[in-house]
Amino acid sequence: MGANAQTTVPSFQASQVLTSDQMNQSARTGVPVFANTTDRDAAFGGSGEKTLAEGQLCYLESTNVVQYYDGAAWATVGPATSGALTFISSTTIGTTVSSVTVSSVFSSTYDNYMVQANFQTISSAGTLIGLQLGSTTTGYYGSAINVPVNTGTPAGVGNNNTASFLAFSTGETNRCTFTAFINQPNLARQTQVTCLGSDAGRIAYSGSEVSTTQHTSFTLTPATGTLTGGTIRVFGIANS
Amino acid sequence: MAYKVQIDDTVREATANEAAAIDAVRADAKAIAVAADAKAAALASARTKLAALGLTDAEITALLGA
Repeated sequence: MGANAQTTVPSFQASQVLTSDQMNQSARTGVPVFANTTDRDAAFGGSGEKTLAEGQLCYLESTNVVQYYDGAAWATVGPATSGALTFISSTTIGTTVSSVTVSSVFSSTYDNYMVQANFQTISSAGTLIGLQLGSTTTGYYGSAINVPVNTGTPAGVGNNNTASFLAFSTGETNRCTFTAFINQPNLARQTQVTCLGSDAGRIAYSGSEVSTTQHTSFTLTPATGTLTGGTIRVFGIANS
Repeated sequence: MAYKVQIDDTVREATANEAAAIDAVRADAKAIAVAADAKAAALASARTKLAALGLTDAEITALLGA
């Protein structure tokens, strides 16, 4: 129970002499703070306590929410419950860089993540782009389906114990995006990646990084040439 | 080879380890490209030989799946 939490909401009587403690409590608890709903419910209506009535506010430490009493029940004011995706970071890609590392984005808060990359300029059309987790430079396995737009003929390609996921290719130098789902990078388990590319060539990829290293960052590296401009955004996927 | 790397919002020269990681990605991609080229060449060669045996393009495509 925190310093502001209380177990009673007093009601003072006419001509009652108040102690300094009572005055201090009155001054610091514009919105009464309770450890949990049990303490909240027990704090009203007893001897020397305020009668619960419509419009009463409170804060609950157990769930970090503000509530109001509508005359019949308690309802939560906020904060609003987070959605399925929570924005974590946005990184603007610099000029002619050979790799971009996005650090401190994976944590125990989420099991799974979505990475959205919009590249502005890639100096080498058709290059593969590697996706590396933390400082792990071995043990990446995966397979992709390539479907060139000029032939429409699908072909399978694999990477067997490579230095990164070779997750997608860039059909053109000035239009390429991809969406990657990176599953359990911060858990002590293998990290799984599913990637969908937007451009000609490598359109779908899935792979595993087989160590149990708990990663907090990732790096995108074009296999040839450099990157200039664009944005890499990371979102956490709610566990529940 | 000297590389320019970006760590979040900071762009700088790559360390030896970072350069090695980039080189490794490049080597992997090159090996995959070589293997893919070899596979495509074998497919083209097979197509030519099957045509020489009298198969039509449709028959060859049906046979090779490509």
